[in-house]
Amino acid sequence: MRWLSKTRYKVGFLIPTCLVYVIFIIAPIAIAIGYSFTRYSGIGRARFIGLSNYVRLIHDPFFWKSGANTIIIFVVASVLLMILSFFIALLLNNKLRFIDLSKSLIFSPAIIAPIIVGIIWVYILDPKVGIINGLLKAIGLRGWAKQWIGGTVLSPYSIAIIYFWQQLGYLVTIFIAGLKMIPEEVLEAAQIDGATGWQRVRYVVIPMMRSTISTVAVLIITGIFKIFEIVQQTTGGGPNHLSETLVTYSYSMTFTSSDYGYGMSIASVTFLISLALTGLYFIFGRKGE
Amino acid sequence: MLAKRTKRIMYVLIAIITVLVVFPFIWMLVLSFKSNAEILSNPLALPHSLSWGNYVNALKTLDYPRLYANTFMVCLLALAIELVITFLSSFALARMVFDHPNLRRLVYGFLIAGLCVSPFILLFPVYKINIFFGLREQWALVFPYVASSISFNTLLFVGYLQALPPEIDEAAIIDGCSIWDLMIRIILPMTKPVIATVVIFNVLYMWNEYPFASVMLRRQADYTLAMGASFFKGTYTVDYGGIVASSVMIIIPELIFYGLFQKKIVGGMVAGAVKG
Repeated sequence: MRWLSKTRYKVGFLIPTCLVYVIFIIAPIAIAIGYSFTRYSGIGRARFIGLSNYVRLIHDPFFWKSGANTIIIFVVASVLLMILSFFIALLLNNKLRFIDLSKSLIFSPAIIAPIIVGIIWVYILDPKVGIINGLLKAIGLRGWAKQWIGGTVLSPYSIAIIYFWQQLGYLVTIFIAGLKMIPEEVLEAAQIDGATGWQRVRYVVIPMMRSTISTVAVLIITGIFKIFEIVQQTTGGGPNHLSETLVTYSYSMTFTSSDYGYGMSIASVTFLISLALTGLYFIFGRKGE
Repeated sequence: MLAKRTKRIMYVLIAIITVLVVFPFIWMLVLSFKSNAEILSNPLALPHSLSWGNYVNALKTLDYPRLYANTFMVCLLALAIELVITFLSSFALARMVFDHPNLRRLVYGFLIAGLCVSPFILLFPVYKINIFFGLREQWALVFPYVASSISFNTLLFVGYLQALPPEIDEAAIIDGCSIWDLMIRIILPMTKPVIATVVIFNVLYMWNEYPFASVMLRRQADYTLAMGASFFKGTYTVDYGGIVASSVMIIIPELIFYGLFQKKIVGGMVAGAVKG
């Protein structure tokens, strides 16, 4: 192989991929950060204004509101997803009839276009046309009927639930793949030693699933910063930016308000936060092993 | 193994969970047969009769064959380009000899790093870059999609190619194969299963992609399916029935696709996650 590995072949094979990758992934990140130091309305030239966008961002209540919403979504969704997808995986990892059908049905939301996921849930959560409020009113619990989406309080929680619905089957499948890797003998040995079902989960399954659990954690962390269409469809970030996430707020500033420089400063901060979270997770995750 | 009672509880739990997850789909289907007025006045009621009005309406407003053709075209172009370039680069990374092994690791790590880039920081800069290169309409989507696939494809291709035994190359070289013979006539056919996974995974991504499409596509004639789905939310009226019907028309082909290639889709999504 060595004498076929001529430098010109290697370079020739690698260049197309590297070129497309640099032009459409790496350079844009640098360009975005560059724009974040400018004022630019899309007309004329971008004007360098130093750190002004970042100063503005610190004093922008909507930015903090979007940050808080992102944290709510993150906390609610990750707690629900971590715990429930693990237990559902334990449940679905048994040899029962119809189990394959059930697995594939639970997985199906993950393959639907996220924009359609948003649309579907409008018809469930919308205060006027949604089925939840319809049901609550029908059984006489009018007081429980809330503004699940579009109000000022509950939207981020609802978005977390929608995201949970979308991701559940996917994470369950990853957990099942992890469970399959635990050798049968280990569990049998624990059973012979008298470990109860819960003890087997707590002291055998969970410790042996370390790497799967950290995969799922990274998927959740990076996934939260990809939630976009769901917010777009259910609330549009409204009313008055109150249900924005960091991602949708940067999109709205960039493309709706044509405040490109400011939009890019929000996008850059969001990008750095997601990188930092993933990095932190790896540092602490590694320490534990 | 399992006691009868535990088994029964498990069945009930699984049934409840499955029904809860599937319910939103079924509800969409039910709603699609209700008129706009029915949805607004009585959201809970079942449709009076099986009326196809919403579908007729949706088909009149949106040119579905066009949406499908556009989406299909973008997928085809992006797939053709990405498969060729990422197969070449992965072949070099996985099977060719580097004088500096660290260089190989560096390029590989660089290409994989894209997995943690969320697309939203890229939207506006890529819009600018497209203008700079004169890439318009469908081509404005093709290259961003190709670029977005690079990290995933590299991960899967390199992993798979490295696992093929090196003796294959030696035997081929002794038989007088050139690098092209080796790559195209010997290695490529062995890579079929992972190519299938990569194709299905990427088609699904592009089929569903909305953020890039919403920024790059200006003319309605170029809209992809995901754009079509967002179309019914007019500026002053919301055509609930139309939205539902058009969503159902987009979901059903997707579910059929999922039904056909379920193993590959699930396998690809899990492999991408577990290896990443």
